[in-house]
Amino acid sequence: MPFATAHTVSLHGALGHLIDVQADVSPGQVGTTLVGRPDASLNEARDRCRMAIVNSSLEWPATRRITILLSPADLLKRGTHFDLAIAVAVVAAAGNLPRLALEATAFIGELTLDGGLRSVPGVLPMVLAAAERGIRRVFVPEPQALEAAMAPGMAVLGMRSLAQVVAELRGEEVPEAAPVAPMSGSRLLSWRGSQRLEEVDLADLVGMADPRYAVEVAAAGGHHLMLSGPKGSGKTSIAERIPGILPDLTREESLELTAIHSLAGALEPGDGMLVRPPFSAPHHDASKASLLGGGTGQVRPGELSRAHAGVLFLDEFPLFRTDVIDALRQPLESGEVTVARRDESVKLPARGMLVLACNPCPCGDYSPHAPGNACTCHEVRRREYRARIAGPVADRIDITRHLSPLHPHQPRDGFGARESTAQVRARVEQARERQAARYAGESWRLNSQAPGPLLRERWPLPDEAQRLVDDRVYAGRLTQRGATRVHRLAWTVADLQEVDRPGPAQVDVALRLRTGEPLLLATLERRAG
Amino acid sequence: MSAADRDRLARVALGRLAEPGDPRFAGLVAELGAVGLVDALIGQRDLGGLLADVAGRVEAMGPERELERAERLGIRFLIPSDAEWPRQLDDLEGSEPLQNRCGVPFGLWVKGPVRLDELAGSVAVVGSRSATSYGGDVAADLAAVVARAGHPVVSGAAFGIDQAAHRGALAAGGRTVAVLACGVDRAYPAAHKTLLDHLGAHGAVVSEVPIGCSPTRLRFLARNRIIAALTRGTVVVEAAVRSGALNTANWAGRLNRTVLGVPGPVTSAPSQGVHQLIRSGAATLVTSGAEVLEMVGGAGEHLVEEPRARARPRDRLPWRDQQVLDAVPVSTGARADSIARTAGLGLLEVRSTLTRLERAGLVVAGEAGWRLAALAHT
Repeated sequence: MPFATAHTVSLHGALGHLIDVQADVSPGQVGTTLVGRPDASLNEARDRCRMAIVNSSLEWPATRRITILLSPADLLKRGTHFDLAIAVAVVAAAGNLPRLALEATAFIGELTLDGGLRSVPGVLPMVLAAAERGIRRVFVPEPQALEAAMAPGMAVLGMRSLAQVVAELRGEEVPEAAPVAPMSGSRLLSWRGSQRLEEVDLADLVGMADPRYAVEVAAAGGHHLMLSGPKGSGKTSIAERIPGILPDLTREESLELTAIHSLAGALEPGDGMLVRPPFSAPHHDASKASLLGGGTGQVRPGELSRAHAGVLFLDEFPLFRTDVIDALRQPLESGEVTVARRDESVKLPARGMLVLACNPCPCGDYSPHAPGNACTCHEVRRREYRARIAGPVADRIDITRHLSPLHPHQPRDGFGARESTAQVRARVEQARERQAARYAGESWRLNSQAPGPLLRERWPLPDEAQRLVDDRVYAGRLTQRGATRVHRLAWTVADLQEVDRPGPAQVDVALRLRTGEPLLLATLERRAG
Repeated sequence: MSAADRDRLARVALGRLAEPGDPRFAGLVAELGAVGLVDALIGQRDLGGLLADVAGRVEAMGPERELERAERLGIRFLIPSDAEWPRQLDDLEGSEPLQNRCGVPFGLWVKGPVRLDELAGSVAVVGSRSATSYGGDVAADLAAVVARAGHPVVSGAAFGIDQAAHRGALAAGGRTVAVLACGVDRAYPAAHKTLLDHLGAHGAVVSEVPIGCSPTRLRFLARNRIIAALTRGTVVVEAAVRSGALNTANWAGRLNRTVLGVPGPVTSAPSQGVHQLIRSGAATLVTSGAEVLEMVGGAGEHLVEEPRARARPRDRLPWRDQQVLDAVPVSTGARADSIARTAGLGLLEVRSTLTRLERAGLVVAGEAGWRLAALAHT
């Protein structure tokens, strides 16, 4: 029978579709047609595959009509990773491969004219999608075998050329082939930023008891955080120490994040699975597409998704473009970002912690210490700046803290606790375990992700504690959305204090965290009222 | 045995017999002297029902032993006839009781190198145990500034404001003294053992209560009068309506000391007591260490410059010139006659004023007329 089917995967955002590449070789007008909504780069696959097959000393059925269908035919397909599946399907249709060898097997890779197999972006999400659809074996370009092997229960074969793939499928001895260059270019710049972040520790910071406690709560429950304070008050220093106090990613998060980074082409060969929470700090010039995701044709995850399960730090938040700030609203609520391109609308996970930092005024010299106040901002500009902070995004921020510059005596204060990152992380891990136990079987993992109505119904606050929240709402000092956030925060505070259920004391802390009021020293010193 | 030694032993004994600040004892010491009073009690003289109260305690007295033990622990016992005795405590003599506590202490147990006769210019920084981080920061900052200026800081040893004040003063390299409601050898609260040890080695820890005694509510109230009396002024940072710090402030007011209060947000419960003090006129509002120094320092010392907004160029203009300047548009130019109409001034005067303002760089003449220069915006 002059007909064969090989499987591959087409990615639409984080959604992977299993694609059947069906090749039919039969008598008729000589030529090759590729149908099933291929885009331009995919259309070129015909030529790449023909030359690759010929140059691999295999037979291209040049005297017959070849029809290649990418099914389901209504999905728009793009990318170059279909090459390998097309070539294999054609070789099999020409009767040169045992048909059984193609069962439950997927093929991913771009072909060169001499039959070499080149890396493509997004291998991990493709392999994950294939695994879910019953594929048990996958052929990938050799440099990406490690990445593909992260998918559980998948037999991964890393190959250098089409000839090797065919030999493997035939059960023959695999021939030698030249190594394939990895996908990314060589590193022209070696950026040591990520290493630097691993070296910073909370123990380096003097004082700052209040923001220290705030980042601990934020990390424990995955709450969004806003740090406001004049220049030099330590906003950036404390923000970049947040990833350190987050526990290692869960297996699920790790897969999601690695898949996103793979999709973004940001995964270095040999990186393996990402296990530490990411930290992403885009500059305030960033466009909407770079922050939320976009790209022409194929969807590229934005910084928001790349910080999934980690920290997205927006320094100088009011300087970000208004459309960018507004666009953050929906993802902040839902934990996922919807990117609509021409042909498709794609959902990407975006459950990172958002950490915003802002100055009290545009010049950054406004100081709460009356004698030290050197602000030169015009009243109108300061008002505009404040308005940007108080916008709709701020209402979606769980914790607001005001930082003040260090007092001159503080560095010599020998009695302040200077806990290390490791000590805080241990408590954050415990608090997260309590949440995991409470939310076992639910679709969310952390307090900050718990849906408001369910929270009120199944994990309500005791009457006495709820009254504290209601009082604020009736006084007009807390919105309904704010009340829900206080409710979630109170649970995180209780989890950190290892209390079974939040009471008035925990709600009081939550209200203070939410409204930016100063915390009680007793809370910071971890002693009972 | 000298008279002073006998007086000292009698005062140690009284410390065991009486609860601190008991008004009956205060009166009797003034009348009979410490030695006379102890002799009377040992001699079973019933002084208005006092004997029944102290009967159980007479047996346990052993003032010589107690002084020896104190010496071993590096603790000294001061009495009014000592050179190191802080004279300002004598202001408590004959004071009306507050919460049924009053009087000059019989003596003071002291541990630490700071001499109590150097506390004449000291400042008490007191406040709530359940303070906020705002209160803690302000207290530490105030104490640091005050201590750096050479004024010792006095406070209790509680959580919250007390410990923040000591930490600020210590970090600034100043002198600081804790007055306790328990024996100076005890760490209360236990979490402050390190702090109290440090104060015992570098500052001073003071109490009128004998060694080994535990704190009680009454002893805290008695202690507050000593803090107020020892210092020239008392700063209250965050005190809820029922805070003991208000008791200290009351004593300070009674003893004609300066009472100062640091305000907080009007919505904050831990600041309510301070706000009440200020509202009733019992305390003066202060916002910084410099302002505290101005209030407790001698006349003309530590004067604080009034905070004021930066001077703008237009502020120095005569009123009529400002009237013209206000009428000059920001961006689109206007002719002199239109400006004169807007300003409600004569055209001749406006013309000459505009020329003057142009020389001062406040307005510019464009093609469409006069408009404000950049300098006038600031």
